[in-house]
Amino acid sequence: MANRITIDPITRIEGHLRIDVEVNNNAVSDAWASCTMWRGIENILRGRDPRDAWLFTQRFCGVCTTVHAMASVRSVEDALKLEVPLNAQYIRNLILIAHALHDHIVHFYQLSALDWVDILEIPKADPVATAKLAESLSPWTRNSKTEFKAAQDRVKAVAASGQLGIFMNGYWGHPAMRLSPEVNLLAFTHYVQALEYQRKALQVVGILGGKTPHIQNLTVGGVSNAIDLDSTSALDMDKLEMMRVLLAEVVQFVNQVYFVDVCAVAAMYPEWFKIGKGVNNYMAVPDLPLNSAGSSYDLPGGYILNGNIGGVHGFKTASDKDFRDGVSEDVAHAYYRGEKPLHPWVGETQPAFTGWDGDQKYSWVKAPRFNGQPMQVGPLAQVLIGYAQGHPLTRKYAGLAIETIGSVGHFQVTPGMLESTLGRHGARAIRAAMLAELAQKHLQLLTDNIAKGDYSVHNPPVFDGHEIEGVGTHEAPRGTLSHWIVIKDSKIKNYQAVVPSTWNASPRDRSGAHGPYEASLLHTPLARPEEPLEVLRTIHSFDPCMACACHTFDPSGRQIAKVKVL
Amino acid sequence: MRKVLIGGIGSVLLGDDGVGPYVARLLAAHYEFADGVEVADLGTPALDLIDHFSANDSVILIDSVHTEADPGAVLLYRKADIMRHSPTVRMDPHSPALVDALLSAELFGVAPADVLLVGIKGESFEPVCDLSKPVKVSVEQAIAEVLRELDRLGVEYRRRQHPAELGIWWATEEQMESPRAT
Repeated sequence: MANRITIDPITRIEGHLRIDVEVNNNAVSDAWASCTMWRGIENILRGRDPRDAWLFTQRFCGVCTTVHAMASVRSVEDALKLEVPLNAQYIRNLILIAHALHDHIVHFYQLSALDWVDILEIPKADPVATAKLAESLSPWTRNSKTEFKAAQDRVKAVAASGQLGIFMNGYWGHPAMRLSPEVNLLAFTHYVQALEYQRKALQVVGILGGKTPHIQNLTVGGVSNAIDLDSTSALDMDKLEMMRVLLAEVVQFVNQVYFVDVCAVAAMYPEWFKIGKGVNNYMAVPDLPLNSAGSSYDLPGGYILNGNIGGVHGFKTASDKDFRDGVSEDVAHAYYRGEKPLHPWVGETQPAFTGWDGDQKYSWVKAPRFNGQPMQVGPLAQVLIGYAQGHPLTRKYAGLAIETIGSVGHFQVTPGMLESTLGRHGARAIRAAMLAELAQKHLQLLTDNIAKGDYSVHNPPVFDGHEIEGVGTHEAPRGTLSHWIVIKDSKIKNYQAVVPSTWNASPRDRSGAHGPYEASLLHTPLARPEEPLEVLRTIHSFDPCMACACHTFDPSGRQIAKVKVL
Repeated sequence: MRKVLIGGIGSVLLGDDGVGPYVARLLAAHYEFADGVEVADLGTPALDLIDHFSANDSVILIDSVHTEADPGAVLLYRKADIMRHSPTVRMDPHSPALVDALLSAELFGVAPADVLLVGIKGESFEPVCDLSKPVKVSVEQAIAEVLRELDRLGVEYRRRQHPAELGIWWATEEQMESPRAT
């Protein structure tokens, strides 16, 4: 019989991202980003069948499952120079888009919104005035007085009970919180509604992938979905129609709620367009292939150095030579053995923990570099790189965001202002609106291609025993993801995953250059250093993929606050 | 029809953290359940757990836990035990979020009345795909606790005469030698 005990704590294994900041005169003077968890999962893959790798990589993260599955099969296909049938490309694209839409909605409402929205101001709001304000911003039909009142009553009940529950640890009443009670209520109501729409996005992943969170329909060379318009057990007309309906609802939520809320909140915090810039080298890879060979894409890639947007370099393919030659990982400040930066195909993962020392080694995250430079990845990079190349869809929604923020906030917004904490949120909303439009496009492309009588979904892989190398990339919600594989005798000889949060959460490299999180925190003003809400705002704007502990130090190094996460 | 979720939580790549999915797969292979019961390997969900709470009348989760107990100890936690804990100041949306998800579901008024967490104290969380010996031994007891909860809820189940395929694809052959289920 089991014992029953008081739980303290009740945590599982988790990836800890720890942020240390040094504060001088109420502003951040230096910062360190470190991961406190050993990530040696890649070693598990050595010796296994490359066709099975995606099943394992899908378990790297419990939420971004599909992205690691996709990058993995693409890495093997790249090594084999294996093309993927058109239906498989469209099905994969739809899964990736639906996942990304889910992810962006969850990120803004569940993680970030409450950095800007003060829950305890909500009881003061007037639901009628809120409805009026909402109507002026968006045609969303659920912006009714009734919905606002119901959401407000929920918060009032929680506040009155004294049991704040999920809201217990918020920085309510913090001087950096500045929205009116009505805007707070508006955003909170959408936070509740968002649950329904992110779930609909996941249902699309489930229809195509068989299950969520772990999809089952991938295979090296394509997908395993049977297509038969007359069979309910296959991908048929009913399922295509179900996805059309689900996506239409998600698209409407993104356009009329998420995009508008981000613009409205941004309009009320103009100073946050001047905070949080950090590393201004940006990178993204092309994604959403439009043909079997993967030589044409709906989303562009490339890189920008030193914020020189006019000097953007494009990547032609998702495994562009510039990209595959340019990536290396440096372990000068990471808890690994190794002398010089290594390319992922010859990358090593040999742990050598020495304890946190900001001058020496302080993180389990390696420092990925592109041509020796730290790079910021994620929606901001995606949008700037698309904008710089004149990509029409990027220009369309970036223009709409700039116009909306400017008209709500009554100030002039320029594309350069996106290089900031709020700009990262804005860029994510821009990217989400682009993806929403592309969701409908790719569903139509799939439907049309099937209607032509093309039911092909898979090209079988053939291994001949020779040593081959491949890189599989995906421009994931958090940015550039790349899986690097070396195959010999039909087995995995080496496998390295360079994930978006590794680029962004990277520690310093041997030259001392800060990683993007670190650089973005420099000079951030803190109204109350013991409640470092501003640090959270900037770190959250990257949408990090690890649990964090945030420490605030005064110049003498004394720890004055510790905001620990699980 | 009562909707019941039996969900195994954990990373199958991190040693004993994979015990939840392992137990879920054993249950699915060895037992048949009444309509409305879903057995799922949930991996390492974060706030997505809110959806699982809202979609079910009862939720039974199996997960590794950190406690002072000896490795392999099986410990039971009810809804109130879980909700007694503070939510976290979240830095990312992906870290384990059992407490946060349940508190959120409660706030939204969609949390089920019956929640049971069958916790198993792990020994090793190194990046391997196998369970440690003490945890492997405790699997049988964890299964018994899940079945006991189904009894309490009045949910029917029966042992299959011929077990279905296990589907524990991540484990090594050695690990798979003698999967046991009561």
